[in-house]
Formats: sequence, C-alpha cells, structure tokens
Amino acid sequence: MELFRYSRSIYTRQTELIGASWDLLPWFAAAGVAFVLVHAVIMLLARRRKS
Amino acid sequence: MAADQSGKIVRHHLIDRLYHWLMAIAVFILLGTAFLPIVGIKFQWIDIHWMTGVFLTLIVLVHIVRALFWQDWRSMLVTPSDIRDIASGARETLTGGAEAPKPAKYNGLQKFYHLAVALLLIAIIITGLLMMLKIDTPFWRRSPYWFTNYWWGIIYAFHGLAAMAMITMIIIHVYFASRPEEWYLTRSMFRGWITRKEYESHHDTGRWKP
Repeated sequence: MELFRYSRSIYTRQTELIGASWDLLPWFAAAGVAFVLVHAVIMLLARRRKS
Repeated sequence: MAADQSGKIVRHHLIDRLYHWLMAIAVFILLGTAFLPIVGIKFQWIDIHWMTGVFLTLIVLVHIVRALFWQDWRSMLVTPSDIRDIASGARETLTGGAEAPKPAKYNGLQKFYHLAVALLLIAIIITGLLMMLKIDTPFWRRSPYWFTNYWWGIIYAFHGLAAMAMITMIIIHVYFASRPEEWYLTRSMFRGWITRKEYESHHDTGRWKP
C-alpha cells in the first residue's frame, strides 16, 4: 500500500509527488468504523457493570 | 436566559442550525464528487466540486465571523478543566469511578472534535482554493505556474489526506448523534432547543447559562 501517488516527470525524469494515495481511502473509513465499534463495546460493558 | 415560558432552552439558533445542515450537505457533495469517481463511478465532477467548495468556504467564513462577534467563542475553547473532565469521564466509564462533572454547553470531547474538524476544513479550504488556480472558472483563467510541481504535490497531498480524514470524522459524528444518550442534542440541531429537564440533567447550570 502506498501513502502517496508519484509520477515521473517527462522533462527531468525525476519522480514527483502528485498527491495522497487513494489506497488510504478504505483505511480512513475503517478507522472511523473501528472507533465506533470499540466505543460501542466499551459503553455496553460499562452499562452492564452498572446494572 | 434564552428560555421561554414552556421551559425550552435555546441551544442552537436558526442561523446556526442552517449553517450546520448547509455545511453537512456541502461536505457530502464534496466527498461524493471527490471520491465516487475514484471508486469507479465516473461523471463530470469538477464544476460541482469547485462550486460547492466555494460555497463551503463562504459559509465557513460567515460562521467564523458570527462565532467571533455574535457568539461566545470561548465556550468552544479546550481548557485544562476539559481535559480533567475527559479523564474523569473515562475513569467513570472504564472503572466505575466517581461520576464525572457535568459539562458547560459543550463537553471536552465535543470541543476536541470541533477543533479537529475545524483544522481539517481549514486545510481543505486553503489547499482547495489554491487548486482552483489550475482550472478555468468564470472568474479567472487557469494559471498552474504559481507553484512548482514539488509544491503542487504537497498541496494535493494535504487536500487528499484531509478529505479522507473527514470521512473518519463524519462516521464518528453520525455515530455519536445516533447514540440514545445524545438524542437530545441531535433533536436540538433540528428544532433548536432542549427541555429544562435535559438542560439540568446533562449540563452544569452554573457553567452554562443560556
């Protein structure tokens, strides 16, 4: 998985950064879902302990 | 006090609710026009993307001016007591410790969330406005020579990373808005007010006097 997108300049033949890698898109979404799941489980356990 | 005879406590004025929902619509349009083509749903996205971006920029500017001059912007600042309250809340939840103090209008986590979204939006708006130099609009002709390729790469990378991070933040926001203990806040973003009972049970009435 790449973090950034690169291209090779036709003039200098050097590799140039052109932006963030779109491979990261599902990972950012997964981070949100993971946060939700962890928080929901913690809150569920806390409520069970209280009751 | 912004409460009427029926005991309604005003939490969000109409203009603030309008801002919230217009911003939400704009952000969803921007994310859709940015990422749907990337996941394979191809369409002419560039015009609606930049126009929505300009609209988002304008309403964010209105929000900043309103917050600075018409609202209590200090109520959204993260303070040391917010960090102590977050720690108390975490202890209460994780170990069943003493009940955490009630917040003022916004709790510490809401303030951190606002700060994170504000920083992401500022990054997206600044880089987005710069990226508009590379497209023709009714206002100017494209002029991609303001920056070298090196700096364009950095601008595009920041724009993309901040936009993807917004997806994470939106998932978290929608999750909290849908949790039953937060419904009273979600309702208030539609109708503008909370009940006196909700005000007294969820907030420190000494720290938030609407």
